Amino acid sequence: CATPPPPLGGPSDHRWSGRLALQIETDPPQHFSAAFELSGQASAGELRLISPLGQVLGTARWTPQGAWLQRGREELPYADMDELTTAVTGTALPLEPLFQWLRGEPAALGGWQADLSRHADGRLQARRLQPEPAVQLRLVLH
Amino acid sequence: DALGELQAFLKNVRQGKATFTQTVTSPLRQGETAPRVQTSSGVFEFQRPDRFRFQYSRPFEQTIVADGQTLWLYDPDLQQVTIRPQAEALAQTPAALIASAADVRALQDTFELSNAPDADGLRWVQALPKAKDGQIQSIRIGFQQGRLAALDILDSFGQRSQIRFGPMDTQTAFGPGHFRFQPPPGADVIRQ
Repeated sequence: CATPPPPLGGPSDHRWSGRLALQIETDPPQHFSAAFELSGQASAGELRLISPLGQVLGTARWTPQGAWLQRGREELPYADMDELTTAVTGTALPLEPLFQWLRGEPAALGGWQADLSRHADGRLQARRLQPEPAVQLRLVLH
Repeated sequence: DALGELQAFLKNVRQGKATFTQTVTSPLRQGETAPRVQTSSGVFEFQRPDRFRFQYSRPFEQTIVADGQTLWLYDPDLQQVTIRPQAEALAQTPAALIASAADVRALQDTFELSNAPDADGLRWVQALPKAKDGQIQSIRIGFQQGRLAALDILDSFGQRSQIRFGPMDTQTAFGPGHFRFQPPPGADVIRQ
């Protein structure tokens, strides 16, 4: 399979950090919450996930060629970030619109809609109406 | 020696309250020159053998309470309370395990304890987890004249978490319900 690219970390990368909470409206509902550090852009970047208790859950990296999740010493390859984030959180995180929302730009893509009304004080909410099950994403930026 | 101070601390100090500052340093990655450091602070309280509370106030508010059975984690910004069985979560909060452990034998079930070299004006005990697959590489426990002063935790990702405690009040008793947590109205309560 494709070998992982060199890790990102160029100075020009903007880096967002904060906490996220995901609720998937299955029965019973599924939840995922973590602190995160996100850098790069939708086409290539890096996402570090840290548990609320401070343990590093993993570091995900992606390029147009694929996505890789590093946990401890092992690095698992995935076809793309949809597949990787589904494996980690239970649903595909909307990377494409997410970078736009973080910059305060409205974007509706893949059934996702965001509420950017409190973007100025670092709050962001988004909902995916379809495909089922519905998903709610809440972000708090540091 | 430091191991003796740890034994005395665990045996004699049955409860305590202190401010703390926590500095988390992420491992350097290619292309990065300066390590990313995040600092947080708050108040830490404990009562042996199995209750504690981390009240973070900066950079954001977060409350972690262990009531003896359950670990409650409340994030007011996300309006979310996460519940975990306490025993399961203790491996993820080594700081709490150290401060609220019943005695040194309880610690030795989980860690290999040994004296480490003095540093930063403190006497240190090194605690290496016996479980090899855990997320923690090593912990060092720092003492100053018999008082718990610091914790230094290195995880398997190379992320280092250093906690420095302020002066510890070990006299004031906690009220009976002090380590119980009541989820505030409107918060999602999630069993993990």
